[in-house]
Order: sequence, then C-alpha cells, then structure tokens
Amino acid sequence: MNGPSHRLVQVPRGVQCFVGDEALRRRAIEDLTTGVFQGWDYEEIIPPLFDYADVFSTPGLAAQTYSFLDRDGNLLALRPDFTSLLAKIAAGRLAHRAAPIRLFYSGEVLRYQPPRAGRHNELFQMGLEHLGGESMAADAEAVAVAVECLDALGVRDGVVALGHVAVFNALADAAGVDPAARGALRERVDAKDASGVADVLAGGAAAEAVRKALIGLTSLAGDVSILDRAAQTVRAVPAAVAAVAELRALVDGLAAAGLGRRIAVDLGDVRALDYYTGLVFRIFAPGLGFEVGSGGRYDGLLARFGRPLPAVGFMLGLDRIALLLERQGAAPAPALAAAEVVTSLAAACEKRRAGTRVRLTSGERTR
Amino acid sequence: MTLTVALSKGKLLAGATDLFRRAGVPFPEEPGRRLVVDHEGLRFLFVKDADVPTYVEYGVADCGIAGRDVLLEAGSDVYEPLDLGFGRCRLVVARPRNAQADPRSSALRVATKYPRVATSYFLERGVSVEVVRLAGSVELAPGLGLSDCIVDVVETGGTLEANGLEAVEDVAPSSARFIVNRASYHAHREAVAALMGRLRAAVQ
Repeated sequence: MNGPSHRLVQVPRGVQCFVGDEALRRRAIEDLTTGVFQGWDYEEIIPPLFDYADVFSTPGLAAQTYSFLDRDGNLLALRPDFTSLLAKIAAGRLAHRAAPIRLFYSGEVLRYQPPRAGRHNELFQMGLEHLGGESMAADAEAVAVAVECLDALGVRDGVVALGHVAVFNALADAAGVDPAARGALRERVDAKDASGVADVLAGGAAAEAVRKALIGLTSLAGDVSILDRAAQTVRAVPAAVAAVAELRALVDGLAAAGLGRRIAVDLGDVRALDYYTGLVFRIFAPGLGFEVGSGGRYDGLLARFGRPLPAVGFMLGLDRIALLLERQGAAPAPALAAAEVVTSLAAACEKRRAGTRVRLTSGERTR
Repeated sequence: MTLTVALSKGKLLAGATDLFRRAGVPFPEEPGRRLVVDHEGLRFLFVKDADVPTYVEYGVADCGIAGRDVLLEAGSDVYEPLDLGFGRCRLVVARPRNAQADPRSSALRVATKYPRVATSYFLERGVSVEVVRLAGSVELAPGLGLSDCIVDVVETGGTLEANGLEAVEDVAPSSARFIVNRASYHAHREAVAALMGRLRAAVQ
C-alpha cells in the first residue's frame, strides 16, 4: 500500500491561513468595506459556495475553475467569482424584484491558477453589483463607492484608472484584422508596446489613421487630460470617439462630486474585453505592484440567465488590500481590550454577562 | 518619490549604461559588487537577466530593462512601452547543416534555454516536441546527439556556424525593452512618465 504523498502538516499550494493580528486586520477591512457598501444602500447577498459549473462561464475563468461531479452525475464547480452567481440569483430568486437591484458580497472564491505575483488559489473578494438602472449614473456610483472604500480603509494615494472596451474594439474592427492578429494586437496593446502593435499591423490592410490610433492607444494612459488627446487620436473611428466621449462625461461627473484627484484614465486596458461591454476600471496604490481591485460594465451577462439587464460592478481583493495597508505602514487594526483573568467558570460567566473579555484559567501552565 | 530601476548585470548592462548617459539620467559610475545602489534620486538594482521581469512584475522595482527574449520566456505581466533599440538579436530554430528537414516522425527533440518559448512555438505549429532544458552552450546539443535542433538567440550567427548549425526558422526578433510595473505606471505616474520621456528622447 502506498503511504500518503505528503506530511500531515503540509499545506496544499495556493492556500493561506491567518492568525491573530492578521486575522484582526482582515476582519477590520471586511467590516469597513461592508459599512461603505451598506452606506450606499447595497444589500448583502450570501450566495452558495458551489453551483452548477455552467453558471460560471466567464471567459478566462473556465480553465481556472475547480469542478467536480455530484452523486447524480451533475458537473458542479466551486465559485471562481461572485458576479455570475449574483446574476443568476437576480434572474431567478429575485426575478420579481424591480430593477435597479443593488447587491454586495464578501467571501472566498476558489481558482486554480499557477503561482504568480499576488495570486492565490483561495481569494477573498468584497464587491458590489448594480443591476439595471441608468447606465451612466450607475457607472459613476460604482466608481464613487470604490473611491470611498479606499478612503475608509485608509489607503494612501489610491488611483482608479478608467477605460472603455469600445475604444479598442472599435479600432480593431476598423483595422479589419483576422482573429489571430486581433489576439496578438490586443496582447501588445495590453503590454503598452507601441512597436509591437506596429509590427502586428505591418503589411495589413488597416487605414493609416486607424493604424496610428491603435499605436497611440499604448500611450493613452495617465491623468484625465489624456481624454482630450484620445479624442484626437481616435477621431477616424466614430464608435471609439463615442466611447471616449462617454468616459469624458463620467470623469466630469466624478470631478463635480469632488472625486477628481483619485481618477486616472487608461484606454489601453484591454484585459477583460470578452466580459465587459463598456466602462472598465482598475484600482492601484503606491506600495503594491498589482491592482487591489477592478470592475466594469457587463451588459451581456444577465441575458444568459433570462433577465436582460445592464449591470456594473467591482470587487476589492481583501488579501491585496491587507498587504497594501501593511506596506503603506497603516496602523494595525485596533487591538481588543485586555482580557481579565478569572479562575472559576461562575466568575467568568458573570463577567461575560457584563460584557467583559475574560480568560478563564484554572492555574494551568501554558506550554 | 524614488523610483527603483532593475537592470541586468549581463549583456544588456553596457547598452543600458550608455542609454542612461545619453538621456542625461543619473547613473552610478561603478556599481562594482553592490547590488543595490541609491544614486541621485533613483535606486538601481543589479540582478540577473532573467530576474529583471520578476522584480518588475512584483513591483519590487518600478521599472527596468529586459530583453524581449527574456520577457517572452518569463511571460511576465508587465508593460513594455519602449523598444530601446540595443541588444538586437533573433530567437531562431537552428539545426545541423545538411540535416533532413523532418528528421523523425515522433516528437522533435529541442535543446534550449527558452523552454516556454520553444514549447509553444512548436505546439502552435502542430509539432510534438520534447524540450531539453539547458543552462548554456546549447549549440553543442545537436552535434552530440542530445537533440535534433535548438532554439536560441543569435546576433551574427558566428557561434552557430562554428558549431555546424544553421538557422532555419525565425521564432521572434528581440531587443532591449524598457518595462514598467502595472501599478507603478499609475501610482507613480509622474516619476515614471518623466523617466520614460527622457529615455524615449535618447532612443530617437
């Protein structure tokens, strides 16, 4: 018989465990974030940890999903994200509820992913979904809530970088490249590699203005003044111009609400094109080399579940926020009051009724 | 705001030194054996070639200079906004001169320092491949019967020729790239943009 291939205290790759101060900090982060979500009248939803695998068909996530068969032979999956689950619930259990529906969640998702910078297999996400409602207003609200979360958490100098998927999509359509070249183009735009974009387009049929616009997309990232330059750069393609104008209106609305200093623009953000249909945004802050949160508009998802509603949402990664706060030297989560030492259960219960923290000892030595 | 710049101690160092001088960006005179050098508002990390993308991807360095060959192999998630024009070479498939075009019907055996690049290059073309990972002197492998061909970088082709090999397919061109961490690009926008602007001016 073969013995176990690992020691009993060995941990599987990609899992984490938090104790003491670390756990306190995580709890505090979750409470502060939840408070902001509730402050904007979002309602908590606690979805199941697993569901039918076909619920989670978000492009890119399928390969990262832990799936398994139940006793009846159904293919189930541990949730790799919350958004699909919430969309399903909005279209099913909450079908009678009039839109807009504002929901938030806080919990673990599980993904199989090769170990890389800042990624684990078990992630704790806190986020919201705004389903239905007027799109521009909902987009602005989502970004405003994200900014308030950063402030509430004590994140220094956080930046929310806004983009719009229609900019790249419209330019790529206008360039008329085949699907393989489109993939390569997107990958090079994502890397902000101007010469790489030029190489992909070399010898192709793209009009000069479109070619220049796609190359220009690699440097259309920075403060909101980028939008003026962007409107010029993409002027040959009306759908891209419209997307830039949409972002401009959003940015103006956020600035009018006093959120301008937190807002940046990144029109080369083409990460999640298959999923999002309009606004996309990512949240960064000095001290951590990767984003701490992201979001965007996904108007196509709910139709899959039979309730076509436009939607916008975002999520914050608790693991990354915790790391960021530590790197930024934020004060640790407030310590609990010292426990009073008592030696009898009766005394302990009495103190507890008065709300006092107690440590019950029977004079034992610690070891 | 002090930016941290990761540079390779290897073959790209001379080009990087020259570029920084031309761009008028402060650069330490003689790093010597020091691996971390603070110099006039910049912090320089001198690390191995293949590690530059890692330092930048994790944000330990805000930016750096790495060869496109190294970036392709590392598959790092970083921005590559500037082609710096030096360190030009090609990643190629090379095999012994006069070798048969299709030496075997089963998996092709390829010796390389670039296992990731080599694997995807052949698999994408429908060729089964067995990659033999070597740390150097890859040109020896076919002659000694370790592999059918190699995937490696060539500048002039002199080393290939001296070892009885010829380049038969181009995998990718390579040159030195200025790379930037995704978060630093936004969170340290002004400092990154200023450095990038000076380097860009020096390249053109």
